[in-house]
Amino acid sequence: MSDTPVARSATQLNDELLSSLRPPSRRWYLLVLFLLAVVAWGLVAFTWQVTHGMYVTGKNRPVMWGFYITGFVFWVGLSHSGTMVSSILRLSRANWRRPILRAAEAMTVFCILVAGLFPLIHLGRNWTFFYMIPYPNQRGLWPNFRSALLWDMTAITAYIIGSSLFLYLGMLPDLAVARDRSGGWRRKLYGLLAMGWRGSAHEWAVYHRASTLMAALIIPVAVSVHSIVAWDFAVTVVPGWHSTIFPPYFVIGAILSGVAAVITLMIIIRRAFNLEAYLTPLHFDNMGKLLLVISLLWSYAYFVEVQTTWYAHEPIEWEVFSFMADTYTPQLLLMLAGNSVVPIAFMCFRRLRRSISVMLTVSLLVNVAMFIERFLIIVPSLSHKNMPFAWGSYSPSWVEISVNIAAVAGFALLFVLFAKLFPIVALTDVRELEVREAEVPLGRTRLPSIAGKE
Amino acid sequence: MEKMTSPYRWGMVIDLDRCTGCGACVVACQAENNVALCDKKEISEGRGMQWLRIERFWAGEYPDVRVRFLPVLCQHCHDAPCEPVCPVYASYHNPDGLNGQVYNRCVGTRYCGNNCPYAVRVFNFYPHTWPQPLDSQLSPDITVRSRGVMEKCTFCVQRIRRAKEEARGEERVIRDGEVQPACSQTCPSEALVFGNLADPRSRVSRLSRSPRRFQLLEHLGTHPSVYYLKGGGREHV
Amino acid sequence: MEIIGIFGDLDSAARGVEGLLREGFTEAQITSLSSVPYPDGVLVKAGQRSWFRWLTLAGAAAGAVAGFTLAAGTAWLYPVQTGDKPIIALYPTGIITFEVTMLFAIIGTMAGMFLEMRLPPRGARPYDPAISEGCIGISVALHAGGEVVVCGEGECIGSIASLTPEEQRERATEILMKAGALRTITEQS
Repeated sequence: MSDTPVARSATQLNDELLSSLRPPSRRWYLLVLFLLAVVAWGLVAFTWQVTHGMYVTGKNRPVMWGFYITGFVFWVGLSHSGTMVSSILRLSRANWRRPILRAAEAMTVFCILVAGLFPLIHLGRNWTFFYMIPYPNQRGLWPNFRSALLWDMTAITAYIIGSSLFLYLGMLPDLAVARDRSGGWRRKLYGLLAMGWRGSAHEWAVYHRASTLMAALIIPVAVSVHSIVAWDFAVTVVPGWHSTIFPPYFVIGAILSGVAAVITLMIIIRRAFNLEAYLTPLHFDNMGKLLLVISLLWSYAYFVEVQTTWYAHEPIEWEVFSFMADTYTPQLLLMLAGNSVVPIAFMCFRRLRRSISVMLTVSLLVNVAMFIERFLIIVPSLSHKNMPFAWGSYSPSWVEISVNIAAVAGFALLFVLFAKLFPIVALTDVRELEVREAEVPLGRTRLPSIAGKE
Repeated sequence: MEKMTSPYRWGMVIDLDRCTGCGACVVACQAENNVALCDKKEISEGRGMQWLRIERFWAGEYPDVRVRFLPVLCQHCHDAPCEPVCPVYASYHNPDGLNGQVYNRCVGTRYCGNNCPYAVRVFNFYPHTWPQPLDSQLSPDITVRSRGVMEKCTFCVQRIRRAKEEARGEERVIRDGEVQPACSQTCPSEALVFGNLADPRSRVSRLSRSPRRFQLLEHLGTHPSVYYLKGGGREHV
Repeated sequence: MEIIGIFGDLDSAARGVEGLLREGFTEAQITSLSSVPYPDGVLVKAGQRSWFRWLTLAGAAAGAVAGFTLAAGTAWLYPVQTGDKPIIALYPTGIITFEVTMLFAIIGTMAGMFLEMRLPPRGARPYDPAISEGCIGISVALHAGGEVVVCGEGECIGSIASLTPEEQRERATEILMKAGALRTITEQS
């Protein structure tokens, strides 16, 4: 080709950032096989439940929701990763977003897909799930839109479609690059998806405006989705659930969960695809600052919740909280450590934010703590409701645990497949920065500057 | 959209000063309504299927121990928390003031069970069978529920239905005392009284105006159709 | 007819654009093809208004109607009393209407974007895969030519319009190669 500086560095960038699209290695196949095995085990557990009955779970009266709904809320929370990280950083034009966008957006889609499975898994009669779908039928039946579960269905459908379109939109120019570099069935696939994109100035101008608008539109959808999931609990009369702080509290928890998950994912893909030059300590530094802010917000929300319960000491509500604190003490402490103490303490220090191993530990700990948090919201309230004679307890069975682990494996599998087929880093976004960056002499030294409006 | 009206508003009065805690009502309900037979394992897991439970509370220290019994059944709330949360309208309010449960519509989300503050809704976690010859006892007037479906006390709606049909055939309304759910029919001390609260002269209406009356969890504003009576106003449970 | 010059770097591409403009081609005829976006004015000026946002608005309006029909309409068609709540309840209807509005607005944005970009294209258009490797294409859309084109919208196409398309193509090719193009591609549009 040409040997001018622009073309070579562009090709080099293309090569490095698209290295994940190479034909798969034996290690990749082994990984996929392992994940498929875990998912298959989850399917076995689920089939066992469908054929035998809900008694294979740990649920009972009064704790009629357990690990499945915990998983549901957890995955919906994780799905806020892409939206928040990607949209907000796009809208604020933060340049350090560029290598992170694609992974975050893909995470959103796969997380919400996994989350959407849980309401189907937890049904007592799964095979009649279509009763909840509004379609004209000969009996003139419609589902109940006054129920928060229907709001869930509508919102999650909107979010799945919205975030998939958002992911696709972000990938459009990258798909054109992938199309130009591949042959055979891949070329046909990328060509179809790229819709004939040529990269003309007109196309780019429209694309930019559309990206900004989509980023702005997806944020209210994300906030509303998790608020609606929070309302599943908040609109009930269950003590400990009926709280107005739930929607903002859940949204904050979701952002915390999502940011931590994006950090974990970034570390993994950095290692797996040799992207050390593109996912630098600077990116982790900034994500760490984001984690610090969100963790502070979460801590504030949790403190407010507990403080008002303690001060008013309304007997039934206080009973729920003290039951939780007594029965699940280690879990509660782990949750507080993982969500509050560790992120706030560690993320204050630049050196720790820039350390990959510290970020990995902290981000994983946050998500473990978030899962526990969902559990501690759902189960203790149900265990000790209004009538003491009907109090109960809950512990998950092997079926529920298997399905939840299979959900993680399923998400990982989807992500691994995605990373093999599609560019995992926002290629043209990263290259856009390279093109506009220049070193400018300022005073006694030379500093990097980025050309462009604002 | 017309509001459906009905001359009936079914309700029940439970006199705790008469209740002996014998549990005959529980057995009668189980027999009348094809309620599943549960073994010790199921019940200890918290998956008992009785539609009506007798709560037992001990008060005082030996030798001055007293026991109080509280039969708890579906309160048929007028502002039932279990009804709006069902995604498929399996739980709904009928014009007679009953909280209805449509078994073949239930998809088993169990949201209603969570939202019932009285915890009177039971879920079929197990697939239940009736070993012979107990299956001959099953009532043909009422469904045998499959697994994965919520159920609860219906004030023996099948009996109300039959009484309504008879009354309609004779072109009159149901008389006071003509229809009784299995529990109130069986109670040896007549602690459970059932009838039409919309008729101010029915026995249940008169008892529901007693100064001894209270309702469970009144502060939640569910407006139950079940009133409890307990002596003197000093010894509420 | 479209002719594309493939340039290896930004400066030669900019020289190419300058040369074309001096020759008499208008800004509206010239566009850049690149795998990364350049700020407005670096190569060509874009600067028109976008109209795809009207489709976003149309989508949102359609979504509001659809959402309201779904929540309130189905409740009205199948009125079942639940709790003490009205059959058509304010908050649930509002929530469903909001969600469907946003969904349709998002779909409208995507549809509008593709429509405004005129993608997928109806016929084959000239392109070079080198553009994905960092090369920049400067594309000139040649019009029929043969006579001076009437001025419209403040763009007067000058004397270049009086040439035949072939002559225009030759001129354009010459200018592009002189500015430093690696090669040129011509296809009938």
